[in-house]
Amino acid sequence: MSSTSTGFRTYEVYQRMRVGESTAKFSPRHLTSPDFLVDPYPAITTLREHYPCYRDWPGNAFWITRYDDVTSVFVDDANYEGRSKRWFYGIESFGRDLGDELPVLTCRAAHLDANARPVADTVVGEFLAEGATDLATEFAARFAMELLARVLDLPAADLARFTERYLRMQRGWLWEPRAQRDGRAAIDELVDYFAPILAARRHEPGDDLISVIGALELPGGPATADDLVITLLEQDHETLHGSLANLWFLLLTHPDQLVTVVGDRRRVKLAWLEAMRHSPPVLAARCFARHEVERFGRLIPEGALLICSAAAANRDPRAFDAPDEFNVARKDLCAREPRGHYRADGLPTGISFGTGKPSRFPALPEDRPRSAYAITRDTAVAASNALLDAVVGLRLSPGTTPQLRSLRLGEMRTCWQLPVHFTASS
Amino acid sequence: MAMCPFRDVLDRALAINVGATIETGARTSFPLMPVGLAADMGRTADGTPLFDPRIFDSAEFARNPYPYYRILRDHYPVYFDKLHNCYYVTRYDDITACYLDDEGFNTIPKGSSSGVLGNTQLELSGIEHRRRRNLYGRHLVGQALDKRVPAIRRLATEMIAGWKTDAPSEVVQYDAGMGRARIELGGAFANEFPIRVVCQVLGIPDDARQSFVYWYHSMMTGLGGSETAQQGLEARQHLEDYVEGLVEQRRSQPSFLTDDSGKVLGRDIISELCATKVDGDWLSTEEITSNIALIVGGGGETTRGAILNMWYLLLQHPDQFAAVRATPSLWDAAFHETLRHSTSIGGQPRHNTFDLQLHGVHIPAGSLMHMVDVSANHDDRVFADPGRFDIHRSDLYVGKLLRSGYRADGRASHMAFGVGPHLCPGAWISHQESVTGSRLLAERLGDVQIAADRMPTDVTGSGLAPIGLGAIRALWLDVELI
Repeated sequence: MSSTSTGFRTYEVYQRMRVGESTAKFSPRHLTSPDFLVDPYPAITTLREHYPCYRDWPGNAFWITRYDDVTSVFVDDANYEGRSKRWFYGIESFGRDLGDELPVLTCRAAHLDANARPVADTVVGEFLAEGATDLATEFAARFAMELLARVLDLPAADLARFTERYLRMQRGWLWEPRAQRDGRAAIDELVDYFAPILAARRHEPGDDLISVIGALELPGGPATADDLVITLLEQDHETLHGSLANLWFLLLTHPDQLVTVVGDRRRVKLAWLEAMRHSPPVLAARCFARHEVERFGRLIPEGALLICSAAAANRDPRAFDAPDEFNVARKDLCAREPRGHYRADGLPTGISFGTGKPSRFPALPEDRPRSAYAITRDTAVAASNALLDAVVGLRLSPGTTPQLRSLRLGEMRTCWQLPVHFTASS
Repeated sequence: MAMCPFRDVLDRALAINVGATIETGARTSFPLMPVGLAADMGRTADGTPLFDPRIFDSAEFARNPYPYYRILRDHYPVYFDKLHNCYYVTRYDDITACYLDDEGFNTIPKGSSSGVLGNTQLELSGIEHRRRRNLYGRHLVGQALDKRVPAIRRLATEMIAGWKTDAPSEVVQYDAGMGRARIELGGAFANEFPIRVVCQVLGIPDDARQSFVYWYHSMMTGLGGSETAQQGLEARQHLEDYVEGLVEQRRSQPSFLTDDSGKVLGRDIISELCATKVDGDWLSTEEITSNIALIVGGGGETTRGAILNMWYLLLQHPDQFAAVRATPSLWDAAFHETLRHSTSIGGQPRHNTFDLQLHGVHIPAGSLMHMVDVSANHDDRVFADPGRFDIHRSDLYVGKLLRSGYRADGRASHMAFGVGPHLCPGAWISHQESVTGSRLLAERLGDVQIAADRMPTDVTGSGLAPIGLGAIRALWLDVELI
């Protein structure tokens, strides 16, 4: 990687902070305070408006917060790289990520398209008779997991255990040591769980994702349960769950917008895009400089961590009018998926993604499935339509004040409690 | 309220009650533990202790860091802290190897001090560093230093003599009738003494020394991107403006150091630097200024901490204090054992130039790696019972500091000054200041006791507070002035 580097560097003069260049309006403590977990926007707004490339010394990172800056990092594969969740786990050599294999992509897309509506109908049917539920858990979280279980064709009885292990695995790559321990254990348990299933599906293949992975012809030999689990780990899991919860949180706390959406179902898709812009569940992507690069008026050293804040960029007034407003009829938000550029049709796209690159397949040939972003969007829209078809008079339960928040520093920011009342449609 | 079966699944999966719990983030407080014991941060299935990176931000860690470093040394010799995006290297041998490998580990891009201190020798690597190293270092060691010892002694004598006044100050309350005084050793001596010595050897005119003390304190509080960084930057600017003028002046009119009798010993450091060429070119004013700032910054706080910690530790071990009084040559051992036991500089950052595999951890090129000197000093692979303060310790090398470090005959040098190319150039002068100053103090102070009622107590409510990381803030003493 850096074998060509000489080991010595020239004497730089311009790195020094000078009087007048201070960051007195901001303290890095804001980035780790409990308030930041609930509402990061005051802090990242200060950064975006005053220190667009903020050097966070305690966190040893650069915070990039303006729309054009963040997107310029994302499209610049030559200078920046994402790192896998395995790298954060410290298990880089464990398993193979098969998420980019064409049969896997095709199978996943086909299943999501075919099953989104039926699964959503089932999930909604579970609570329909009660007239009240918690949309955050019983709809958003449950739908995402039921759908994944359907793609893998797991028995319904395994859903709870699978969910526990899966979420532990997805939560463990961050800094929390207990979560990392539990995540590692969950990976091992999932490998043990999937090994016999994978063997059985090789014997009697179906059209599910496990069968497809089992049938792959790979240069390093056939896929193992390790590969299957790593493929699950590396795929985004926050966007579907988080975006559904955030979309419904925003619609229910903005009843006028909900009326608009109920009145014109074509707006569900726009509402989802706007929700992802206004309150993306994944707040930031971590990018690393591949080599020393002069950018944002600074010298970014090799290996430096750039925290590219999607949350801040999505509320950049340079890109969006009245950015703090949730408006499903927004005119300056691009409704197309970002295929390699963020200003298709001259309009900025909201930035929202799992970790890593925003769109793994920026320029897709025609024979490839749509991007993960578009599939997630269509899936979430299908689920929301299923809910709207099934109920009328959807409203927050009286006396509740739901909020968006991250459970832990660096984790998904979403709504964890969204109690609602409704009437079943006749 | 409807039944929420999936909420239970989520609660179990996330191991919390998602409806009610919220983590308080990196600021979560850890319980204050008895010194030497680590708070419980959880364990793996096989019993290995887990390590929570939030501990580094906690009050508990600042006062009781050693049991946590022990966990790192024993279980995570290279610890990847994902919260602070850095790697901790904590074993003596690993740190020594990294410090000595000038190509594999560089000191730039800048550490957090550079904002305030500017481009300094601290942050050069390889040939750039070697070329300049001796320019600064050679004025602070050997014969060049011996020339400065009389000045150090003179300064200390002057400061101590000032205590016997009837006008009580905040830091010295002298009772002439009893011949006793209550003094705060920091305010009365250690805070200013090193900075005065530095001004002396730099050749700063007397009338500017008070400004230097102020600039120095502002710069020190401005390090590390702290909230007072602005003040530090301004102080540095003022210091730079002043030194720039001085440098320009000294280029044409060098000034000289003298001994007690007024005999000229040589040029002061600034005048020397003005007359120095690198690669056939004069040193730039900017470069001289930055390094003066580093000498001022590096030469003050650290030596102050060494003096205060040394007296604090010795006075808590009266038998060892008595031994030092009886045999003044033991001050050298006391100085080194203090720095091993409680040095005020925690460690040094490095960036690895190449991808690296260390203790099974893959470290990508350009990562920030903290070499934790205080942990190396408490590595029981090298120093037996490292928490014990013992100036007679048989495994600590107390001779002349070597750039290569010392590791032979069952003795090892401590890591407080580092080793290798970046060995602290002020190590020797700091040693001289601490030992010479302390010897003079010991001669003038009879019956010294720590004024325990003025000192912070440990969290247990009894006993003196531990030093922890850094140096104690103040040291109140009840003394007999001779």
